[in-house]
Amino acid sequence: MKFAHLADCHIGAYGRDVKLKDVNKKYFIKAVDIIIEEVVDFVLIAGDLFNTAVPGIDSVKLVVSQLKRLKDKGMPVYFIAGSHDFSPSGKTMLDVLEHADLGINVAKGDVVEDDRLKLKIVKDLKTGVGITGMVGKRGSLEKSFYHNLYTKHFNDFDGFKIFLFHSALNELKPKALANMESFPVSLLPKGFDYYAGGHVHIVDQASIDGYNIVFPGPIFPNTFYELETLKKGGFFIIEDGKSRFIELNEFPVHSFCIDCKNKAPSEVEEELKRLVSGKSFEDAIITLRLKGELISGRPSDINLNEIVSLFYDAGAYAVLKNTSALCSKGFQSINVDARDVVDVEKAVIEQHSEQNSFEDKTTKDIMKALSAEKLEGEKNLDYERRLFADVDNVLDDVVVKEE
Amino acid sequence: MSKGLIVGGSFGNLFVREKTEENLEIGELLKADVKEGKVLFEVIDLEFGSQLNKQTLEMISGLKLENAQEFNIIDANLRLYTIAKLKPLTLICNDASTKTCKVLPKILSEIQQITKDDVVFPESDNVLFLGNLRSGSKVLDVDVVVDGSRAFAHHLLIAGTTGRGKSVFMMNLLWNSLDKDYCGMLVLDPHDEYFGRAKVGLKDHHASKDCLLYFTPKDPPVGALSLKIGIDLLQPSHFNGVIDWSPPQRQLLNSYYRVYRSDWVRAVVLEKALPFNFNEQTLAVVKRVLMNLLNLSAKEDTLICSGVFGLGSGKTIVEDVTNALSSGKTVVIDTSSLSGSTELLIGSIFANSILSSYRKKSFSELRKLPVVSVVLEEAPRVIGKEVLEKGSNVFASIAREGRKFKVGLVAITQLPSLIPKPILANLNTKIILGIELKPERQAVIESAAQDLSDNDRAIASLDRGEAIVTSCFVPFAVPLRIPFLAKRQHSSNTHKLDFGGLT
Repeated sequence: MKFAHLADCHIGAYGRDVKLKDVNKKYFIKAVDIIIEEVVDFVLIAGDLFNTAVPGIDSVKLVVSQLKRLKDKGMPVYFIAGSHDFSPSGKTMLDVLEHADLGINVAKGDVVEDDRLKLKIVKDLKTGVGITGMVGKRGSLEKSFYHNLYTKHFNDFDGFKIFLFHSALNELKPKALANMESFPVSLLPKGFDYYAGGHVHIVDQASIDGYNIVFPGPIFPNTFYELETLKKGGFFIIEDGKSRFIELNEFPVHSFCIDCKNKAPSEVEEELKRLVSGKSFEDAIITLRLKGELISGRPSDINLNEIVSLFYDAGAYAVLKNTSALCSKGFQSINVDARDVVDVEKAVIEQHSEQNSFEDKTTKDIMKALSAEKLEGEKNLDYERRLFADVDNVLDDVVVKEE
Repeated sequence: MSKGLIVGGSFGNLFVREKTEENLEIGELLKADVKEGKVLFEVIDLEFGSQLNKQTLEMISGLKLENAQEFNIIDANLRLYTIAKLKPLTLICNDASTKTCKVLPKILSEIQQITKDDVVFPESDNVLFLGNLRSGSKVLDVDVVVDGSRAFAHHLLIAGTTGRGKSVFMMNLLWNSLDKDYCGMLVLDPHDEYFGRAKVGLKDHHASKDCLLYFTPKDPPVGALSLKIGIDLLQPSHFNGVIDWSPPQRQLLNSYYRVYRSDWVRAVVLEKALPFNFNEQTLAVVKRVLMNLLNLSAKEDTLICSGVFGLGSGKTIVEDVTNALSSGKTVVIDTSSLSGSTELLIGSIFANSILSSYRKKSFSELRKLPVVSVVLEEAPRVIGKEVLEKGSNVFASIAREGRKFKVGLVAITQLPSLIPKPILANLNTKIILGIELKPERQAVIESAAQDLSDNDRAIASLDRGEAIVTSCFVPFAVPLRIPFLAKRQHSSNTHKLDFGGLT
């Protein structure tokens, strides 16, 4: 038995950054090329195939064409929805793919006794392997599904069993993702031979309390931070119980982090120029992170456009820069050890707590209420009323700090 | 209802003639009216009283025994009675406030049974229920409560002989504090009894899903966490009080930590080079101790972890536990299958983390945070005289200065005399259960927040589930009945889930 395990393809990610969006797609195509070359029995995609539940036409076109290639080669694809492409209404592009017979969504079941969810086990026709899985939701909200999972029938299935999931696990979280919502390994149903993970953008294999858990990481790093740390994408091929990580690094990533503390903009520029001088960065993705407090001038005094041009002249494919931790004297920066927007918001609220007349919880509740998305089929007026009502509810219980 | 009349004695030792058939008990609570309000008394001793002299009584008994005659004493109730000795506990003023009692009721004043309206414990935002008020062996419908936030910060001692109810009391304490956001509890559970794998336990609490983290190294039940600690989280200071290192061994550990930082354990086990010279034997001993304690082995140039400490897992456990505690959750760590040293090492890691995290907080930040209490079974293992003579550890630091940073201890022991006096005195709230050994009773009596010098006999006679609470957060040494199953509200899943998108 031989299968491929992918996760977090995030097709359609990188929004307006056409170049990186394109690399992401190229890596997906490359992954399919390798899978076909390897002649696997089936393919697993453990969530977030798309970056949104309803992706753009280009993304759909690409995925459909690649899944069709796999189908034509007789390699069935089994997937689950992840935190990016799940929709409680079930109206996702994954549903369209399933109806077009390009893949099977294995996170499906029925509600049985005690209002528990009984997941169906899909049997792969060629290998007889039983496959099922659970969706991922934003903020690890799928945790409650696991608490209410009917599991008795899993033991009745004889043979190799695979469970797909799209969640972070407490015991296996890397230190850098300590604030990520997660749940214990023990919530995963017991007795499966392979737990195909997604969601956490790390490459990891672990055996813990009898659970053989594998995270392949993304096909292509999804953020500036991931480009810096992961540098490459990839997936696993599992053949007769042995796993092999297939690296995808057609566009090598070079990361530079410059500490600008006590330096003038001209000094920083010189340092950056030295980095690129006389070197070739053919087809490379460059990340430039500038941090620290300049001794004089402003961050905008550093001619980064010129530096970026130099990298392009040296053959770079894409150059990304991050100056969020760069500041000038007299401009107080807020240091936030965070990996995503939610963490940044949390930290900023906490740091400004003293100036805010509301309790921090109230501020967060208001932000949460205002960030509710419009439901499918909901009219603008109803949406507006719902938002106002939610904010009113929060304000009804408001606690204003004493001066 | 009159129980007797005051017939003499002195301020701390009042004599009361018991009304016939009232049957006063040791530890019974009584009251007497005074101008300022009412004085609350406790019966500390009982003795016979009689209008007949000793010879007459001996003659009567002889007649009864030897001649087997029917012999009745005329007005026996007037001639033979019981004298109770009473100690004043507190003065309950007319406005229901309490004060230290400094007055005596009039002689021949009536002594009455207390009612549930007589004793009211001060209400606070952070109420922690300890049990029911006990009067002798009778239980009154009065909840004994303290300000949990302050009581936990000022440390608790639970002392009693085996089988007297220490674990039941602790279970109640954890149960009652689980859904309270004013406290986070870190419990090292060497008997794996609080979560309730096979019986009723914290898992059955209605708030357990949101407020309880249970770590276990063996076969975690659904929802529980596997106890795995990343080996790179270890620091040499975590071993203080766990391993008695010699000075050269300590220097060696610190050197490895300075050079290899988070990779220091691997470096020691694989005998990586240091820029300074150390005795080979010192390294050999340190390596052997670490390998035994952490369950490590080495194969060629690879470190193999077989126990709780791992390489690829548990990298965020310390942060997870610290965050959970500082958001008012209860963390129970099942250490039943671990050696004593490993258990203490794990406790030391988490306790160090929470103490250092709280130490860094500003006063205004600390005010918003819940108090965190570390529960230690067999407390003398870490805060005992013998252990502390070899060097301090994080638990002793918490006992000494944790109060300032809202980190407290709940020390459970049957041998309080092994805890040094200064630390024992710092454990402000004492839950005293039945203690048979005189030196152990003396240790708690001498360090109690209230004067218990007359309660020696009462402590010895405390039955299973009976206790005396002394604390600066209760107005007097309160006799307590520990409910076997506290006011427990079991979990019920009334919320129906929407499996939209899955069915």
